[in-house]
Amino acid sequence: MTVFERLTLSVRLLLIALLSLPVLAGLIGVLLPAFGYFPALDAHSFTLNVFNQLLAVNGLVSMLVLSFTSGLFATIIAVASAFLLLAVFYRSAFLNKLQSWLSPLLVLPHAAAAIALLFVLSPSGIVASAVVNISEIFTNTMSNSGGILPPVWYFPYDKQGISIILALAIKELPFIFLMAVSVLSQPQLKTKFDGYYNSACALGYSPVVAFFKTIFPVVYPQVRLPILAVLAYATANVEIPLLLGPNNPPTLAVAVVQWFNHVDVSMRFQASAAAMLQVAVTLLAIATWRIAEQLFTWLKDWFFTNGNRQTGQWFAQIFAYTMVAIYALLVMLIVASTLLWSVAGYWSFPSLLPQGFTLLHWETTLSALAEPFTNTMILAVIVSAFSVLIATLALEAETVKALPNKHLNKLNGGSSVLLSITLFLPLLVPGVAFLYGLVWFQLAYFNDAVWLHLFVSHMVYVLPYVFISLAVAYRKFEPKYIQVANGMGKSPWQVFIHIKLPLLFGPLMIAFALGLAISFSQYLPTLLSTGGRIATVTTDAVAAASGSSTRLTAVYVVVQTIMPILGFILAWWLPTVCFNPMGRFNLLKIRKAAS
Amino acid sequence: MINSNVNLAVLVVFLRLSLFPLLLSFLLTFPAEHVYAKLEQPDVHQRTKQPTTVQFHAWGGSAQVNSYIAWVNEQVSAQYGITVNHVKLADTSDAVSRVLAEKSAGNHSQGSVNLIWINGENFAAMKRHGLLLDNWVASVPNFALTNPSRNPAMTNDFGIPTNGQEAPWGKASMVFYYNSKLVSSPPLNIDELLSFAEQFPGRFTYPLPNDYLGISFLKYAAITLNEAHRDVLYQPVNAQALATITPALWQYLDALHPLMYKQGDYMVRQASQLQQLMGTGELLLAFSFTASEIPSAVNRYDLPQSIRTYAMEDGSLANVHFIGITYNTSNVTAAKQVVNFLLSPKAQAKKQQLAVWGDDSVLDRSLLSASSKALFEEPTQHPSALNKEKSVPLFAEPHSSWTDALRQAWFERYGERF
Repeated sequence: MTVFERLTLSVRLLLIALLSLPVLAGLIGVLLPAFGYFPALDAHSFTLNVFNQLLAVNGLVSMLVLSFTSGLFATIIAVASAFLLLAVFYRSAFLNKLQSWLSPLLVLPHAAAAIALLFVLSPSGIVASAVVNISEIFTNTMSNSGGILPPVWYFPYDKQGISIILALAIKELPFIFLMAVSVLSQPQLKTKFDGYYNSACALGYSPVVAFFKTIFPVVYPQVRLPILAVLAYATANVEIPLLLGPNNPPTLAVAVVQWFNHVDVSMRFQASAAAMLQVAVTLLAIATWRIAEQLFTWLKDWFFTNGNRQTGQWFAQIFAYTMVAIYALLVMLIVASTLLWSVAGYWSFPSLLPQGFTLLHWETTLSALAEPFTNTMILAVIVSAFSVLIATLALEAETVKALPNKHLNKLNGGSSVLLSITLFLPLLVPGVAFLYGLVWFQLAYFNDAVWLHLFVSHMVYVLPYVFISLAVAYRKFEPKYIQVANGMGKSPWQVFIHIKLPLLFGPLMIAFALGLAISFSQYLPTLLSTGGRIATVTTDAVAAASGSSTRLTAVYVVVQTIMPILGFILAWWLPTVCFNPMGRFNLLKIRKAAS
Repeated sequence: MINSNVNLAVLVVFLRLSLFPLLLSFLLTFPAEHVYAKLEQPDVHQRTKQPTTVQFHAWGGSAQVNSYIAWVNEQVSAQYGITVNHVKLADTSDAVSRVLAEKSAGNHSQGSVNLIWINGENFAAMKRHGLLLDNWVASVPNFALTNPSRNPAMTNDFGIPTNGQEAPWGKASMVFYYNSKLVSSPPLNIDELLSFAEQFPGRFTYPLPNDYLGISFLKYAAITLNEAHRDVLYQPVNAQALATITPALWQYLDALHPLMYKQGDYMVRQASQLQQLMGTGELLLAFSFTASEIPSAVNRYDLPQSIRTYAMEDGSLANVHFIGITYNTSNVTAAKQVVNFLLSPKAQAKKQQLAVWGDDSVLDRSLLSASSKALFEEPTQHPSALNKEKSVPLFAEPHSSWTDALRQAWFERYGERF
């Protein structure tokens, strides 16, 4: 075994430690108060009273149901829509266009997406203005009154959480879609898929049915991990239900944050117990998903052998085209209204344009933004670069086959099981839960290392996504190249440096850009781990969103969107100029053909 | 000690303005234990050799407040070499939790929060857990200018004595504002408010009682709806007192809620959201605790030009907001210097300017020199601004125990919301 292989194996163990230690420490910091133990508040004995107190909270059941249903339905809608789009547009030139349209929504932070949706869909938003203007043409009521009031309608803050589901589904669809596309575009898989698909079509299956019967069963298991991450996030996120959800009662995660931040600090006990309950809700949602998968497995044989060749083709096509149309419209409206609000002077309902334009809001924001912007960039670059390095080496460790002794082999086998669990820890455990505990530990032991805390709390979120994003490409790396190189007597290190890295440069850059985007969007981890001593664009943006100016909020949304997009533009452009001449040639050819 | 020497303080302030260099030498030779030697120290303070940073934790949701604090930083860095870092909070209780976490983790001297902008419940919570520095306010020279012996509100935060743990920074009273393009005559008392809601269903709401503006609305309603037994609200609450006050309040709110925004099912969490909904036109009537934020929001295009501000004729609730220093601040001298600057006529006048922030000064103008007074003159009346000539009765805040009691009772009746 070479030194390089030893290094990769130790990095894999390191990755497990890096992800699990902060989360476990944080969980302990929350678990103890949940069972009544919190020395800082003079509580030294273990008890179940806290849970009894929590269960007595009015509306707890509604909170649980709201968290569970909004997360589950949003994920179902996002997954179903993503695969329907893929099925309908698979092997269509449109797929590439769709990719580039959906990417901006992927990088938009959740908070920014929710705010942007408010601009578009709220009763005073651009859609309502358009509706009023159109009906005005027919009824002509505007002339005889002083003005027109915005309508009263469902969105946002509805009790059933439909606004939350809508926002989450819209936000998560691109993620699942792009993850699936990245699997589909693996060179060796693509050839295989083309063969299946052509055979199925030759047998008279309609494209959509052919997709679901031949390609879907191979692709789905490979995007299961991202889908479960989405599901976990959807049941436990704070930003979207906070901005768009009801508050009588809200989702459980929102209540947890409110209890943790309650002026009456003894509410921390209840908050901790509720955080544990949130973990249970998230696990329940995942279990439900897995059970549903099993049910579908039983239906699988019937579905594959029923011989139906046209089922749903017509429906799928109408659905997919409608969806694309709605998405295109929505993206356009989001971009237009956010940009307009950021430079708007007075703008009264139902005008479609502001009465005047001003750069005042940009001036106010930009002068305040220099330092947070620098902080955000430094942090994101360090965290993402570190995460890409660790993830790459840990993935490389998977290719190490023979280990010198049985003991090590066992350790390695155990670590791969551990790895898949730890990877999910930060994505599964609601941030609100373990972050509070983590901060408590950080304060107790290394109070002054602010940047270190910031680094750790961002890393636990960035690393898993970078790993998941990279794993798809890495694990499907064409083994023939390696076999040929090995045959020529090249060492694993040489293969890694001269073959893998250049060929995987594209996915590596995408993973890096994703890391940047994830780091940019973190709010709670940043605020909690630094005590606000280091401001980032996102912490300032959320503070602005809690303020009174729609216009300033819009400026922050624009800035928050541009930053990650720049990252992805770099990731898109760099592979066309660096390394891998053949891949570059192909890439440019594909893009040319698509455009 | 300070109260008995107020006249001397006034004298010192007057002297300082005219005879500053002379006074300087006088003070340097003055016995160090004497309070007024301490009083003048910040003004004779040499620029500290090493740059000092004071972490100022303050709500960051207002562009005006943020740029005002940025101005304070410029001034204080230039004058004393102290950097004021504004930590912009979305919610002040985040910082309270932070200090508590530090205390529980045993960090008693290197706190990350130095100055904190608080009042009411956050103050009560910090005081209860011993998170604030004791008895420092009297040693801040400019504090004397607030005339604390005559204005009990400067040393009393919602009925709780401040014990020198926090210095007053600004004051406010509740005003209402409406969109005059769509509403010709706004409601002028609590009963008219209900008729207004009937006329324009869904166009008025108030923040949840967790928010200070929300609980203030409940207090205003409790005070005005219980004219006969108003005194009860100024004593510590008990079950009987609560039972006296609530029937009229519930009867009113039961009628109001179905007529509010989203039928009262969703209520905004923060006062600032009210202004946002007024800005987009979804609401027609709202209220605020800072009268001047309304014309400045109009100037910044955040509210339409047709907005008009007024005070309810049946009375307006008034209160003061404060700056505290945390118990684990390492550089107390620098923190006090910043507070002293915040209380200077220059900083207070700047803060009161409509274009800057428009927060009412806490200084007693009768104690100021003519030149300091001149700093406070407002040039012209903004059409959206409150007409200050028209005076309405100012209700003091009810005893602080009522805040929790009213909120809890509200939650029990209308459900705990978050």
